[in-house]
Amino acid sequence: MKAHESRSYMLNMGPAHPAMHGVIRLLLMLEGEHVLDAEAEIGYLHRAFEKHAENDPWNNVVPWTDRLNYVSPLINNSGYCMAVEKLAGIAIPERAQYLRVISSEVSRITDHLTCVGANAMELGSFTAFLYLLQAREELYRCVDRLTGARVTTSYTRVGGVKGDMPADWPDMVRKAFEKVRSTVKDADGLLTKNRIFVDRTRGTGVLSKEKALAYGITGPMLRSAGVPYDVRRAQPYLVYDRLDFEVPVGETGDNYDRYLVRLAEIDQSMRIVEQCFAQIPAGPIQSPDQALPGSKMSDLGKRGMTADLLKAKADVDPTLEGGARCGRDSVMAPVPDATLPPKEETYGSIEGLMRHFEIIMWGRGITPPAGEAYQAVEGGNGELGFHVVSDGRDRAWRVRVRPPCFFNMAGLHELLKGALVADIIATFGSINMIAGELDR
Amino acid sequence: MNPVLDKHRVKTVVRPEMRFQEQVYLIEVWKGLLITSRHFFVNLWRHCMKALGQDAAAASVTTQYPEDPQVTAHRSRTRHRLLKREDGTPRCVACMLCETVCPAKCIYIKAEESPDVMIEKRAKTFKIDLGMCVFCGYCVEACPEDAIRMDTQYIQFPGSTRADLIWDMPELMGDRPKIPSLTPSKDPLSRP
Amino acid sequence: MSCCVTPPAWQGWLWSGALIFAAVNFGLGVAAFLSWVERKQSALLQDRIGANRAEIFGFRALGLFHIFSDAIKMLTKEDFAPPAGLRPWHSLAPIVSMGCAALCLAALPFGDSVEFLGRSWSLTPLPLEYGVVFVLALLSIGVHGVVMAGRSSGSNYGLLGGLRGAAQMISYEVAMLAILAAPLYIYGTLDLSEIARWQARTWHGIPMWGIFLQPLAFILFMTAGAAETKRAPFDLPEGEAEIVGYFVEYSGMKFGMFLTTDFIESIVLAGMATTLFLGGWHVPGLSALGLPSLVAALLGVGAFILKVMTVLWVLMQVRWTLPRFRFDQLLDLGWKNILPLALANLLVTVWAAALLS
Repeated sequence: MKAHESRSYMLNMGPAHPAMHGVIRLLLMLEGEHVLDAEAEIGYLHRAFEKHAENDPWNNVVPWTDRLNYVSPLINNSGYCMAVEKLAGIAIPERAQYLRVISSEVSRITDHLTCVGANAMELGSFTAFLYLLQAREELYRCVDRLTGARVTTSYTRVGGVKGDMPADWPDMVRKAFEKVRSTVKDADGLLTKNRIFVDRTRGTGVLSKEKALAYGITGPMLRSAGVPYDVRRAQPYLVYDRLDFEVPVGETGDNYDRYLVRLAEIDQSMRIVEQCFAQIPAGPIQSPDQALPGSKMSDLGKRGMTADLLKAKADVDPTLEGGARCGRDSVMAPVPDATLPPKEETYGSIEGLMRHFEIIMWGRGITPPAGEAYQAVEGGNGELGFHVVSDGRDRAWRVRVRPPCFFNMAGLHELLKGALVADIIATFGSINMIAGELDR
Repeated sequence: MNPVLDKHRVKTVVRPEMRFQEQVYLIEVWKGLLITSRHFFVNLWRHCMKALGQDAAAASVTTQYPEDPQVTAHRSRTRHRLLKREDGTPRCVACMLCETVCPAKCIYIKAEESPDVMIEKRAKTFKIDLGMCVFCGYCVEACPEDAIRMDTQYIQFPGSTRADLIWDMPELMGDRPKIPSLTPSKDPLSRP
Repeated sequence: MSCCVTPPAWQGWLWSGALIFAAVNFGLGVAAFLSWVERKQSALLQDRIGANRAEIFGFRALGLFHIFSDAIKMLTKEDFAPPAGLRPWHSLAPIVSMGCAALCLAALPFGDSVEFLGRSWSLTPLPLEYGVVFVLALLSIGVHGVVMAGRSSGSNYGLLGGLRGAAQMISYEVAMLAILAAPLYIYGTLDLSEIARWQARTWHGIPMWGIFLQPLAFILFMTAGAAETKRAPFDLPEGEAEIVGYFVEYSGMKFGMFLTTDFIESIVLAGMATTLFLGGWHVPGLSALGLPSLVAALLGVGAFILKVMTVLWVLMQVRWTLPRFRFDQLLDLGWKNILPLALANLLVTVWAAALLS
């Protein structure tokens, strides 16, 4: 930072600060209340995601992607798997595509609820934060029901998704959406027209279109500045080209616009999910009458008593629910050298068992041809890109994540220059910096 | 799909104009107070009804753990367990698929020959370091014997040292309870 | 209205001293109770339950024992002063803050004079002729506590918070004086018990409480009072998420004293609002019942406490509903909005009074 006159002093909003989302250090050069210069020091949450991705087989990277933007894990899961599928040339079933879209949008809603809530809390409105978090809680329960975990979902696999949605899941999600709508209405009533909130967010943290494009900023930050770039519309992936939704943009690029854009996006995401539920192709065929305990099926299979075994359904761990043989092909592409067979085949047939072993053993499994692929998805904060490079082995040669937060944060010092100290909180909260994504 | 061609899909957010009634703080403050007061009185009413023994909707979203049951889903990945055969021996044949697939590399198996010719192989020791486990469920997917599951619905496994979080085969099978040590370890390198 | 002999001076002093003791204890007790109210009120409006785990012999008492557990926790903590700070001022600051706030309680008129044993006893602990000015002056002295705390913390954050707090309090004192000018003009006195007595008049059955005569002044007074006592939405000096504030280097009971000061100042604010605008101890229609003086006085005290509690409830609701003001917007509000409005209110009041008389 440049040297300034002696009236200025340095304030360190250190890694541990109540208002810093995650760990990040802001070095501020202040003169009284005005910020002369700001510098962000990042990397406190660096966990070597990209290095791990070089040492772990392709599918094993999916749990690490959960931990990138950890408030919208399903988007990261989908993005990474899509990049590997692009490289390996695997086309996933249509139902799996719809499931990925639905889960991504639910994750997007949780991301925006958290961002708006945390921003409101830092500005003093603790109540709006807690209301929005109630809605988020309902969504987390839905995600738990679908994937088996609230945040560390690890839902997608290369070739599809882990398990189909339960039959009652659409209704559960619709009920959660009612809660989202009512809490967003309450939070809206507490914040949007409240002059105290408006005065704090209007005109502060203004980002111009040119600066946003120059820094490579994407997502709600870019859209609030007036550029209607949304990866789902510009480079549609999965089934987004069949869905009808609007892209909310702002005008001035200040904090208020970002707040409004995020609230509007929550609405649009709910709209997308409703359309998906209507359009999604048929699910698993009714399961056969006989359900054998998995252990019994496995024992019978090992002793070669496989007559009629594949006609039964294996009663396995509930965490594997939704991956049974009937209907498996609609959620996981049946690629023999890339996707795990359903448990019935593993227990009940030698080919299934062999395929199962081949995919898991090191050196075997998914081996995309040498080459590279880049797949961008619309994350909660902008264009989340995965650039995967393969050299033909069972693990990546290189995985590069384009973290949207990184580019958003690069422009932070421009937003803070000339602002007041109190504006830092409002601005920083509206950027939605997630340290997991920023530092990987 | 080009965002320029899709102009009708782009919607500018409406910034509510600040008319006089918003400029004067009070009207919006009053409206905000109505929202929070509504929550306050509705919840107060429900609490009172509950206290009087009447049926009422939930007055709070708090789960008072451990009195209230924990909230996990049917598919929730919880603490592992090793399944047993009918004679009480573990189903695990030490094929090492779970140890191979584990992203966190937290499963440690030592294999030995099984006295039963039909089974051939079994695990001598089977340890899971729950402190390293990321609860991804890959081990369950990988097991070809239905020998490991994550369906215990236990989400608490306390410990005062790192060793407390390493569960052994008898503990994972439920034959022996896992008793955490009462005092933290004195060794600074194994700080809890 | 006493028909009796003037009591000897020492009896007056003793009675006053006892009442001051009672009032300060009442204030501290209510402040402790307020910590429970804050927890539970905020919990109810946020769809939570609030703290309910502290128990004595298995009795939870809706979480009331948390008051004691919090106090014990704070008392048993290390008496810490930052090495970079100034130790004597660090210890003195909470004492100054809390002392000034607690003394204000003594000036509040809890009830009317009561006829007992042949003489009239005042239920105002410090029956001063200039009660309003006394309270405002003590609140001014409270600024010293804030500045001391900020300066002696030895940290930039603390200093920033202390200076902000001081600037805020001083601005809003000026605003408060301007706001109170109009109602005081109507009442014609600075004596708090006289003001409460004045509001007992009725006009066509409606009691002439300050809130009906001076609604704008009431709203402005609550706003300025909240800003003076650094309650939300004006709590930027102590805003935890932002700059953490002037008590960043405090822990244990010294920190507890600052929190208690916050609550006591709220009680003082509520007490002043009740006295000046809600008729103090006045219960409409009570005098018509012709109850004995002691009973009526006690009912008056009860009414006063009830009104104070209601105002406190409203203050708490406002705290949890609104976001925080930014510091320059806060000062703008005080100087550019509230002060002109208060002066305009004064002009209109004087003009209206001249017209009506």
